[in-house]
Amino acid sequence: MMFDLFSDIFTYRDNALTRIDPRVKLLVAVAALVAVVTSARPILPLAVFVLCLGTVAALRVPAKLVALRLAAPLSTIAVLVVIQTFVTGTTPLFTLTFAGWTLTAKAEGLRLGLLLGARVLGALSIVLLLGIATPAHRIFQALRGFRISKDWVEIAILMYRYIFVLMDRAGDLAAAQRLRLGYTARGRALASFTTLAGATIVHSFEQAGRTHDAMRLRGYRGTMPFGPLPALGRRDRSLIALSVILIAAAYGFCEWGANG
Amino acid sequence: MRAVDVQGVSFTYDDGTEALSGIDFRVEKGEFVAVLGSNGSGKTTLIQLLVGLLKAKRGKIAIGGRQIGSMAGSLTAEELYQRVGLVFQNPNDQLFAATVEEDCAFGPRNLNLTEAEVQRRVTDALAAVTALPLRGRAIHHLSFGEQKRVSLAGVLAMRPAVLILDEPTAGLDPAGEAQMMQLLKKLNREERMTVILATHSVDMLPLFANRIYVLDRGRVLQEGPSEEIFCHQEMIIRAKLRLPYVSRLMYEMKRHDGVPIDGLPLTIGEARAQLLELIPKEMILPGIGPGIEEIRP
Repeated sequence: MMFDLFSDIFTYRDNALTRIDPRVKLLVAVAALVAVVTSARPILPLAVFVLCLGTVAALRVPAKLVALRLAAPLSTIAVLVVIQTFVTGTTPLFTLTFAGWTLTAKAEGLRLGLLLGARVLGALSIVLLLGIATPAHRIFQALRGFRISKDWVEIAILMYRYIFVLMDRAGDLAAAQRLRLGYTARGRALASFTTLAGATIVHSFEQAGRTHDAMRLRGYRGTMPFGPLPALGRRDRSLIALSVILIAAAYGFCEWGANG
Repeated sequence: MRAVDVQGVSFTYDDGTEALSGIDFRVEKGEFVAVLGSNGSGKTTLIQLLVGLLKAKRGKIAIGGRQIGSMAGSLTAEELYQRVGLVFQNPNDQLFAATVEEDCAFGPRNLNLTEAEVQRRVTDALAAVTALPLRGRAIHHLSFGEQKRVSLAGVLAMRPAVLILDEPTAGLDPAGEAQMMQLLKKLNREERMTVILATHSVDMLPLFANRIYVLDRGRVLQEGPSEEIFCHQEMIIRAKLRLPYVSRLMYEMKRHDGVPIDGLPLTIGEARAQLLELIPKEMILPGIGPGIEEIRP
């Protein structure tokens, strides 16, 4: 399950989206994120969510994988909406009594919660689509192209590379614990899990030491060297301009057009 | 001038474990030398000293005639890493970039080579380990055998004069093991690369190694060509090692069944030749063999 969560096999498929330069995709994604996060109404974020999920479905990504990747954020959104509904606003909607506590849901809170939830959902779907259409190393290349700090990019590359190694190792350790009945009772499971987490941290430190040795032996002097990136072509620049114009138009229509 | 010259080197870890005790180790240019020893014999410590990851407490280490260390005239880290390449036992320790190409290009780019030269070296190194089709692949999508070959390519791209490998066949299936050893043989025989291999796997060595050093508890027990090493059976047992399986079979036939075997064959080819001499000619079917290539032990 963990591997599915991080798997990038769909990014290696050949389709119209994977063929686009990662810098173009990253710029368009950032523009869409800004529009979604700054929107004052839930229409645009929800439209983006539907569009992105439709594209993901068109790319034939299994629904189960999409649900798995959305599961954790969706639960966060649910909590966000509930908290906002009961904490923010003045106009009562309904009242709940629970264990001697009286909780009043308010209309303003519900509206704000839904707006925040829609923004998170929209932003999440953009990142989901970007992650399904672009291999991580191409995103790192794009970041380098935008002159993001080399140190940050280097750390991101190493983190991405070793997520899979540590996941494999943690998976093996968890299986070994399970085979020796480490998860048969709640208390035992908690103890096993904390041991597993501790062992994984220790492994990651050891791995870091060995990797640093290997890097030193191949001439590492504190900065990972990167190859040159080709210049963006006219087609790429046109694609960026067109996408940004479309996003701006959609933003204008959803935010102001519907009122006027 | 020797490729590697180790004189009287000792090393003790901070916890007091004496890993090496006054060892001498010499490798000529173009040789294929194996360091054979059981777990904890000091093989990995010796390797780490040769590449400068550890500093010897006593003794001298010279690579290509120049010493490693902080004294005047000794090799700088950059010079050392261009002369000696180390392939780690676990490829995950060594493959840190996201893709095969980026990982192989890491070393050449650190040498500040032009991008055209970097790409040429990456192509050559991947071709040398028959991994060119893997060039654009993500590292975590590779099989273990592919990771091993790519980690070797990453070191070859640095074009070292001395290639050191820590247990290069550990974890590989028999086909992968044979492929790896053939690659090393090719690099040694055709590219004249000096190869030093640390292992406890004895079956392949007689086919590939010019000389073998046997290590036990931080000391060199014996040094010489494989036929010389494996005829000292007590020493082999003392080093917690064993004879190659084919030699063990021949030894048992000689000792327990009185089969008149001359010396101790170390490879399938040698054993086959000896057995054919002992079997009456009329018992051998005409038209079959010779011709088994000695690819596997």
